[in-house]
Amino acid sequence: MKQNKLNVVLHHFLNALIPIFFAFLLGGIAILVAGENPLETFYILFQRALFTERGLTRTLHYASPLILTGLAIGISFKAGLFNMGVEGQLLVGGFVVAVLGYTYSHFPASVLVPMLLLAGIISGILTAMVPALLKAIFNVNELVVSLLMNYAIIHVLQYLTTNVFRDPSRGYVSTHMIGSSAILSRMFGTRITPFFFIALFVFLVMYIVFNHSKLGYEVRAIGKNLEFSEAVGMNVKKKILIIMTYSGALAGLGGAGWMMSDRYAYTLNFSGDPGLGWDGMLIALLGAHNPVGILVAAVFYGALKSGSQAIAIHTSVPREIIAVIQALLILFLSIKFLKENKFLERLTCRFMPKKPEGEEV
Amino acid sequence: MDILRVMYDMLYYAGPILFCTLGGLFAYKVNVINIGLEGMMLFGGFIGALVIFYTGSYLLGLSGAIFLGIALGLLFSFFGITKKANFIITGFAINLLAIAIGYYALALMGSTDINIIGEVRTMSLKLNLPVLRSIPVLGDVLNGHSVLTYVAFLSIGLVHFIMYHTKFGVYVRVAGESPEAAEAVGINIHKIKYAAIIVGGILSALAGVNVAVEQIAAYTPQITAGTGFIAIAAIYCAAGSPMKSSAYAILFGLMQALSRNLAITLGGIAGLLHIIPYVTVIVVLTGIAISRHKKTNIRGYAHE
Repeated sequence: MKQNKLNVVLHHFLNALIPIFFAFLLGGIAILVAGENPLETFYILFQRALFTERGLTRTLHYASPLILTGLAIGISFKAGLFNMGVEGQLLVGGFVVAVLGYTYSHFPASVLVPMLLLAGIISGILTAMVPALLKAIFNVNELVVSLLMNYAIIHVLQYLTTNVFRDPSRGYVSTHMIGSSAILSRMFGTRITPFFFIALFVFLVMYIVFNHSKLGYEVRAIGKNLEFSEAVGMNVKKKILIIMTYSGALAGLGGAGWMMSDRYAYTLNFSGDPGLGWDGMLIALLGAHNPVGILVAAVFYGALKSGSQAIAIHTSVPREIIAVIQALLILFLSIKFLKENKFLERLTCRFMPKKPEGEEV
Repeated sequence: MDILRVMYDMLYYAGPILFCTLGGLFAYKVNVINIGLEGMMLFGGFIGALVIFYTGSYLLGLSGAIFLGIALGLLFSFFGITKKANFIITGFAINLLAIAIGYYALALMGSTDINIIGEVRTMSLKLNLPVLRSIPVLGDVLNGHSVLTYVAFLSIGLVHFIMYHTKFGVYVRVAGESPEAAEAVGINIHKIKYAAIIVGGILSALAGVNVAVEQIAAYTPQITAGTGFIAIAAIYCAAGSPMKSSAYAILFGLMQALSRNLAITLGGIAGLLHIIPYVTVIVVLTGIAISRHKKTNIRGYAHE
C-alpha cells in the first residue's frame, strides 16, 4: 500500500519533470536566438529567485495569488468543468476592491481589510455564476461562455477605468489608489505580506475540502463519470453551482489580495501578461489538479516570475522569455509521458460531438 | 450611422472569422475541437508580417504563414492524435505560445508592433472589381475588400463542396461519425484526422494574414481578440454544417461591425460597445442550447 502511494507520487513528479525539461530545452533555444548563454541565464534565474533572501520572499509573494488561481482552476477541472473565466473573475475581484478600497479609505483597517477581501470573493462568485447557471440550467458549454466573458469583462473594466473611476492626476489610465488602511503591507522588512498567509490558510482549507470532505469526493465522482454520479442520486446541477462558487471565490480572492498587496490601483495591466488566471491554468496542470501539487507548482512559477526580473537586469534576454517557457510547459504537459490519465481522457470525451441531435452546445 | 458602411464592415470583420470557422469545422467533424485556432491565426499574422517586414514581399509572407499553419497543424495532430494528448490543453498551449513568442520577438526587436505600412500599403491590397462595383446600391458594399476577404467568402462554397461532394469530405464525415466503419472499409483515420487539422491550420493562418497584413498592416499580439473562439462558437451553434456555421460567422461579423460603427457615433460610451460581439455569441449559444435541451431533455444530463 505504502509502496503504491510512493509510486503515485513519483509518477506525478516525473510527469511534471519531463515537460519542465523539454520546456527549458526549447526555451534555451529561444535564449540562444537572443544571443545569450541559456545555462547561465537559467542559473541566474533560479539562483536569484530561490537562494537570496530578497528573491525568495519575492517568489513567495508572487506565488500567493497563483496558489489561489491554481486551486480555482484545479477544483473545476477536477470536476470536469472548464472554468476558463478565472482570469475574468480575478479581474472583477481586483477592480471592485480598487473602487471600494478608495471609496471607504476612511474606515479602519480592521474593518476595511476583511470587508474588501469579502467583496473580492463575492465579485468572483457572481462573475462565475454566469457560466455556471447557463451550464447547470441549459447545459451551455461553459468553456466557450467563460472564455468569451473574459474579453467582455476586460472591455467593461477598461471602460469603467478610463471613464468613470479614473484618477485624473495620473499620466496613465488607472483608478485611484486604495487607502492606506486597505493595504496589506510588507512584513519583517521583506516582500512578504499577510496575503501570503491568507493564501496558505486557504490552501489548507482547500486541502481538507479536496481530500477529506464529502464535496471533494463528489467533485472527483462528477469528474470521473457525470451520468453515473447523477444516476446514484447526486444533484449534479447543484454541485456544478457549488464547484463554480468555490472556483469564483478563489479567483476573486486572488484578485482582491493582489490588489491589496501589490498593485494598489486598477490599471489596464493589473494582472500582467498572460494574466494570473492563465498562470493558474499552468499551475493546476503542473500540480496535477492536486492541492499539494498546486502549492509546489505555484512556488515554482513564483520563482520563474521573480527570477525573470533578475534575467532582465543581469542579461540581455527579454523577460518575456518566461511566458514562452510557460506556454511550452503547458504544451508538453498536455501529454502524459508515463501513463494514460483517465481523468483527462474523460474531459476530452465530453467535447466529442457524438450525435448531432444530442450534443452539448 | 451609415447602413452601407456597416454592411461593408460586416464583410470586412466576417472574413477572418469565416477562415477560422471553415478551418475549424473539419477538425470538429472528426471529433477534435481545435481550441488552438486563435493561436494558429496569431502565428499566421505574426509570420506573415515578419516575413514582409524583412523581405517586402507579400507573396513570401503569405507562403510563410501557410507553411507555419501546416507546421502548427502537424504539431497539434502529433500531440493530439498520435500522442493522445488532451487536445483542449494542447490547443490552449498553442494560443499562449503564439502570444508569448509574439511578445518575445517584439522585445528582441525593441518595438511594440511589427509595422509594415510602408511595405504593403493596405489601400493597394483592396481589390477594385468593375463587375462588383457596377452592382446598384450594394456595389460599394461588395467592392473594395482585400484579396483574402474574397477568398474567405469563396471558401464557404468550396468547403461545402469538399465536405459533401468529394471523397475526402466523405472520409472526414465517416471518420467522425463512425470510426469503426471507416476503419473496416480501410480508411486510415489517423491520416484523415491529420489532414482535417492541417486544413484548419492553413485557413487560420490565412485569417491572421488577412487581419495583420491586409487590414491593419501591423502585427501586435492582440490582433486576434478572440476571433478563434468566436469561430468555435459559430461551429458549435451550427453543429459543423459549413453553410450554417458560415451564416453564424457572418452574424458575428455584423456584431463587430455594429460595435465599431456605433462606437464612432456614440463617443464616450464607445469602449463599452466592444462587448457586443462576445455577448451576442453567448446569447446565441444559450438560445441554441435551450432549443436543443428541450428536444433531448432526458434526465437532464444524459445527452451531451
